[in-house]
Amino acid sequence: MREEDEEYFGRLEAELDVAMDIASEAKTRGGDPKPEVEIPIARDMADRVENILGIDGVAERVRELEGEMSREEAALELVTDFVEGRVGDYESRDGKIEGAVRTAVALLTEGVVAAPIEGIDRVEINENDDGTEFVAVYYAGPIRSAGGTAQALSVLVADYARSLLDVDEFKPRDDEVERYAEEVGLYDKETGLQYSPKDKETKFITRNCPIMLDGEATGDEEVSGFRDLERIDTNSPRGGMCLVLAEGIALKAPKIKRYTRNLDEVDWPWLDDLMDGTIGDGEAEADGDGDDGDSEDADDEEADADDATDEPVKPEGPPRAEPNKKFLRDLIAGRPVFSHPSEAGGFRLHYGRARNHGNATAGVHPATMHLVDDFLATGTQIKTELPGKAAGVVPVDTIEGPTVRLANGEVRQIDDPAEAIEIRNGVEKVLDIGEYLVNYGEFVENNHPLVPAGYTVEWWVKEFEAAGADVQAMQDDPSVDLADPDPEEALDWATEYDAPLHPNYTCLWHDIDVDEFEALVSAVEDGTVDVDVPTIEHKSVEPSILDVLVLPRSETVREAVEALLLEHTQTDTTLRIPVWRPFVRSLGFEVDGEDLTRTWDELSADARSWPNAVEAVNEVAPFSIRERSPTRVGNRMGRPEKSESRDLSPAVHTLFPIGEAGGSQRDVSAAVKHADSMTDTPGEVEVQVGRRECGECGEHTFKTRCPDCDGHTEPHYECPDCETRLSPDESGRVFCDHCEVEGTSVETRIVDVHAEYRNALESVGERENAFEMLKGVKGLSSKNKTPEPMEKGIFRAKHGVSSFKDGTVRYDMTDLPITAVRASELDVTVDQLQSLGYHEDIHGEPLEHADQLVELKVQDVVLSDGAAEHMLKTADFVDDLLEQYYGLDPYYEVEDREELVGELVFGMAPHTSAATVGRVIGFTSAAVGYAHPFFHAAKRRNCDGDEDCVMLLLDGLLNFSMEYLPDQRGGRMDAPLVMSSRIDPAEIDDEAHNIDVVDEYPLEFYEATRELADPEDVDIEIAEATLGTDREYTDFGHTHDTTDIALGPDLSAYKTLGSMMDKMDAQLELSRKLRAVDETDVAERVIEYHFLPDLIGNLRAFSRQETRCLDCGEKYRRMPLTRECRECGGRVNLTVHEGSVNKYMQTAITVADEFGARDYTKQRLEVLEMKLKSIFEDDTNKQSGIADFM
Amino acid sequence: MLRVVPLEAPARIVRELVRHGYNADREAVTLIASADDPAETLEAVVEATPDDALTITTEQVRRVLSDGKGSNANKAASANSNPSVSTGANRPKDHSETGGDPPETKGDSAGIADASTAFGGGDGADRGDAAHRSIEIANDMTGRSTGTGEYDDFVDVFRDRFERLSNQLRGRVNHRPTDTLEAMGGNSDAAIVGMVNDIRSTASGHWLIELEDTSGTFPCLVMKDREFADLVDELLLDEVIAVEGTLADDGGILFVDSLYFPDVPRTFEPSTADRHVQAALISDVHVGSQEFMEDAWNRFANWLHTEAAESVEYLLIAGDMVEGVGIYPDQDDELDIVDIYDQYEAFAEHLKSIPGDIEIIMIPGNHDAVRLAEPQPGFDEELRDIMSAHDARITSNPSTVTIEGVSVLMYHGVSLDEIIAEFPDEKATYDEPEKPMYHLLKKRHVAPQYGGHMRLAPEEKDYLVIDEVPDIFHTGHVHKLGYGKYRNVLAINSGCWQAQTDFQKSVNIDPDSGYAPIVDLDTLDTTIRKFF
Repeated sequence: MREEDEEYFGRLEAELDVAMDIASEAKTRGGDPKPEVEIPIARDMADRVENILGIDGVAERVRELEGEMSREEAALELVTDFVEGRVGDYESRDGKIEGAVRTAVALLTEGVVAAPIEGIDRVEINENDDGTEFVAVYYAGPIRSAGGTAQALSVLVADYARSLLDVDEFKPRDDEVERYAEEVGLYDKETGLQYSPKDKETKFITRNCPIMLDGEATGDEEVSGFRDLERIDTNSPRGGMCLVLAEGIALKAPKIKRYTRNLDEVDWPWLDDLMDGTIGDGEAEADGDGDDGDSEDADDEEADADDATDEPVKPEGPPRAEPNKKFLRDLIAGRPVFSHPSEAGGFRLHYGRARNHGNATAGVHPATMHLVDDFLATGTQIKTELPGKAAGVVPVDTIEGPTVRLANGEVRQIDDPAEAIEIRNGVEKVLDIGEYLVNYGEFVENNHPLVPAGYTVEWWVKEFEAAGADVQAMQDDPSVDLADPDPEEALDWATEYDAPLHPNYTCLWHDIDVDEFEALVSAVEDGTVDVDVPTIEHKSVEPSILDVLVLPRSETVREAVEALLLEHTQTDTTLRIPVWRPFVRSLGFEVDGEDLTRTWDELSADARSWPNAVEAVNEVAPFSIRERSPTRVGNRMGRPEKSESRDLSPAVHTLFPIGEAGGSQRDVSAAVKHADSMTDTPGEVEVQVGRRECGECGEHTFKTRCPDCDGHTEPHYECPDCETRLSPDESGRVFCDHCEVEGTSVETRIVDVHAEYRNALESVGERENAFEMLKGVKGLSSKNKTPEPMEKGIFRAKHGVSSFKDGTVRYDMTDLPITAVRASELDVTVDQLQSLGYHEDIHGEPLEHADQLVELKVQDVVLSDGAAEHMLKTADFVDDLLEQYYGLDPYYEVEDREELVGELVFGMAPHTSAATVGRVIGFTSAAVGYAHPFFHAAKRRNCDGDEDCVMLLLDGLLNFSMEYLPDQRGGRMDAPLVMSSRIDPAEIDDEAHNIDVVDEYPLEFYEATRELADPEDVDIEIAEATLGTDREYTDFGHTHDTTDIALGPDLSAYKTLGSMMDKMDAQLELSRKLRAVDETDVAERVIEYHFLPDLIGNLRAFSRQETRCLDCGEKYRRMPLTRECRECGGRVNLTVHEGSVNKYMQTAITVADEFGARDYTKQRLEVLEMKLKSIFEDDTNKQSGIADFM
Repeated sequence: MLRVVPLEAPARIVRELVRHGYNADREAVTLIASADDPAETLEAVVEATPDDALTITTEQVRRVLSDGKGSNANKAASANSNPSVSTGANRPKDHSETGGDPPETKGDSAGIADASTAFGGGDGADRGDAAHRSIEIANDMTGRSTGTGEYDDFVDVFRDRFERLSNQLRGRVNHRPTDTLEAMGGNSDAAIVGMVNDIRSTASGHWLIELEDTSGTFPCLVMKDREFADLVDELLLDEVIAVEGTLADDGGILFVDSLYFPDVPRTFEPSTADRHVQAALISDVHVGSQEFMEDAWNRFANWLHTEAAESVEYLLIAGDMVEGVGIYPDQDDELDIVDIYDQYEAFAEHLKSIPGDIEIIMIPGNHDAVRLAEPQPGFDEELRDIMSAHDARITSNPSTVTIEGVSVLMYHGVSLDEIIAEFPDEKATYDEPEKPMYHLLKKRHVAPQYGGHMRLAPEEKDYLVIDEVPDIFHTGHVHKLGYGKYRNVLAINSGCWQAQTDFQKSVNIDPDSGYAPIVDLDTLDTTIRKFF
């Protein structure tokens, strides 16, 4: 590790230690459930694994093994340690297996996700029918977060442990085998699996897997056959089991195979049959295709196959990516399509990595964002055609913007966001939506073959250089602009060096056919050059010679010129082209002053038979011409970007129970005054809370600090039957051996909320008018039901923040990557960056100016404006808490957000249980959380629209407690059970290793793209290469800069538009404006996926609905015969009304008409409308028409 | 004897005549069919018939044949003069072959007559004098849907159900309203008539049934060791039952000693027709589906034109005339006819091949273009216009159709799915669809359970209650054939005219396609005819 990296981590950890000391001091004051900080620091993965599992000795052993073998091998090696008792304190065989399995999953998920603790319920040893024993592993839903490989390996580990412990294999009964097949199918239908195994595969796995995969029910649906089996506790699908079987074993068979080979004790020969795919083939034929999703796949494939078989008949065509329309599936109303699959006019693929680019992100020009009516903003998720499935949008203004036709006839490319805003009301058609930047690593990560590159300046420069030009000298020459030469210069270069024509003057010849090409040639022959042009007439073009080519207008010629993206102005009779020389030269004309002379007679047969005009143009032009944009990337909007505080619903200030006394708002001050009847004392509420005992004076209370002597209290457990005092055993279990029941500290008692509230206000010296409302909770769901001290809630309410289920204050942001930043865009000064240890820019120059780019350090994070504001409030809350509750000095003392720079935060993702320490470096107006891709990967996130949260460090340290976590499946997910103080690039999600870190791509790369090569076969350095070296934290090069990381709209129109109807109107409006979008298809899909399911679903819900009492809230499955509420006599009403059933009916019909939906769709709507009328209209009371009165 | 096999199926001739705008007498069609060159004969007949004529009579055909148009007319005529031709006979010869079968022998092939080639034999059917016929329809709510989807509409329906069904039960027990029971004191005997509100099993395996009446609810406990405990298996929510038993010490619960359903009286005697006349009971035609069995349907229609079918004067269709649109996702890929109106047009064409002198009565099903929620009104005007050719009677689902004194309760059968899913296999399966029908008769309600699969449209009364015990109960929907008698009520689930679909294949349902149950209305005996 480099010295500066060591220094960086040293600084972070020193600061962390300071905060830890303060928090530890505060905790010793006894005002919390535990007298110490409850988030242990993990310095490496081994620490995290041990802390998450709570098994002593694991970390040490993991560190020993790590140097010697891979993580997977270490997981298997640990099995012997568990079995032989060297690690873990397990007596029983099932305990040993359980420990080994959990540890394996924890290791394989880098000790970050909750799967090892929440995804594995238990391991049992049960009896086979022949009297032998077998091992059953009980999986739970959260095993999902482990991913397929870890899931599959967990089974292998269990099997290895089983064989070492001499337990026999699982011998399933026939009905169980059948049951598994039905169950996996049902789960796939209800919840969906990434991979849907055929029934035969499922049966084969069940029959052969030596471990019984079991688990708890995760759904309400039940299997119809093979119910009530003796050895399977539930008739509902067991989600954890289904995941492990399908996405684990079935999908990852090759990976498991690799590890079984190394183990003598374990042999899974049946994996070969599974991998050969010979299982289930016969079934596929017989089964037909019941699954809708699959049948669409099959259709796609069929369609593709048709295309493929058609091709040999046609002449050879250019290399192309296969169109893929999967991303259009499940289109949602209000979320527009930006381009249909591989459609001309759609996003043009441009290879490169911008500095704000990484895993699952797509660079889009900010002008495009504005011209798609602001539907795209920084961080908006798009579902995309390739190379992955989804991506987060980042603004990159060094690629080409969109080309539009304006109402005044002008066709121009818009490369300036300000210009985009200025002209957008005048846009008639978006002829081209602009470029789409994707980095090479993205193809590696998705294992997607390379697709033909667009012809860009980067590529051209490489070819120009290869052609013999002294590119270095030209780059140094201030009078030469390689990126943007004059047309004359570009033409000279093309002819002089025999290099392809510069991309700026290369038209999209592949988007017109030979007939159109010939029409253009004729038009040029009939055209004239207008030299009498006094001023520049086309706004975005500054021609070096003021003359204009005037072509006679015909629809064919107009469409062809538009398809070429050649800038021009349309009049009623002509097309006026200001920069025309490269165009007419490309068409094979010689230019001599105003005279244009055609140099050729006939196109060759080859050129004529080519599917587009590229061969033709290359035949007649005096230089070679590359395909400008051969790959178009279809996509549509997925989720909008996010930047908002995480609130429970309803928001909670204090985890203090007040029952129903606070009303639906859970208002504590209302509970204070509440009394059920005249005889009750206001403020006395019956709730369940945990009994605690003061260590000093023995007083019993539910509070964490003794009300008598201020001593710290601990839970006081009793047996519910014999009331004997109990204490937890080593595993934390409380059990009465005498009565053989679980002990508990929970009791139902009257809590005087009034007194609590007054005392809390008084003790912290706050008045009631310091806040609007203090919201508590109805009841506690934690095991010991320990209430949070109300004082904390008072400060949260005062500072306008709310609490998550674990006592922390959180702010959610969409994740986006960034590897280099400039002070100017972060709203910080150079001095501030200097003080954070940034001394040089990316070129090694001293950091002096705010617009110099510096390489981002891995744990530095950029907060959105909203997050900064929220952190400020949280800091004030923490300071008040320190001073007035714990009696310590304030820590943050911040007035402005710039003072937050350098403060530590926790970053933490859903479904994980480990927080990562980050440091605030600056702020952005984009509604996202920018951070180093390694930081995101440490949280096990990529950036395809995922979101996660930040917490202020001291808030987490002071306020988090395991005691508050819900005592239910998944309760420990999303809670910081451990924190990583530094990121080790080798111990993060390896997805982040696939980010390319070069400044430019080699010529061979561009050429390989035209071969549709495997990305692995191309030599471009990715982050993986530097792992374990001194450079592992540095030298993240990028090929593209962007002026600012927050260009384009700050918020997607999806978030600024009001109702769903407004969003959908805007979506359909946009679909008409974009050339690459088929608006009828969009309308059909909106009807099909949104309106019809809504209408049908609501209609169904109406005719089998529940009812509810408006007064007491009591629910009835069916309308009571008493008509009034049986509980309170109140008014009962429907839960689904006519209005909610038919709210989209008219809109759907209008959309179907306006956008020319198929008759089938229209008729479905017609029939539905008739059904609605039949239910909601009285036949005998039809509205009379006016005719009846005449 | 040499059989004269008509070259042209009568049904096709009828269709062809209809295309030209004519109806035809039965015998006229037979005459054309038996001509040596029926096509030519038909053309000649059409030519010879005045444009303003509506019906082609036997006379006209004879005239054309005797005029020598159609070279072999003489032969045809001689074939027709075969002595076996019965011109006015009102008893078909083959009656005996069906009469002997006890209807209880159901389903199995022994009871099935293969009619797939039946049209080949002999001569055309000659149906009796229309004057004997009578059809009355009750419980039709078409055009009388008054519900507007308000809360009170729902309450009114359930109250009406409770009132009408509790009337059936009140005579049998000495019941008390639920709100007066607690006051009766512990250990006293009591009875309740109530709607089943909830059924739960207790920790010790007993059953707790909550019964509801207009004054409240009351818990009733059925001990698991009681001999009638397995009746709990066949309880559905929201049906109305009566229980008798003893109140617990604190009066808070009733220990059930006996349990009653509204049921069909054991003494029930069905009415029968005064003459020998038959009705064909079919359902689930599914025109428009790729799996619609057009050939089987044509054989059926052809058979109806034969003498063997002479007594069949009524055709009852219990729903799902067409495959419909938007019934399940991506259905358009599996439709032969994608346009819903075209589906009904095609269905109407297939109806036209049914002899014009057969009375047709039909109700909609869940694939039809009416609301799914029950009761389902009959088709709207637009669809009626499309299907007007045969002048079929269209009524709502469910309806009671009384034919020459025999009442037939027609119900499409969506609730059968739920009963089969909820009841143990020995009480209801798809293989014996008549068994769940017995349960509906017992409950005197065609679809009691609310809130599950069944959809309810609230109307001013509960049209789904079986007020009067029908003589015949006719359903479809499950595409399985089955029939039998429950306390003398003939229950028939007709099969379908749709071959196995991909979906049915995937869930392993093997439909009974291409059968027509034929019921003798004078004896309520049943014959199953097979047409594939």
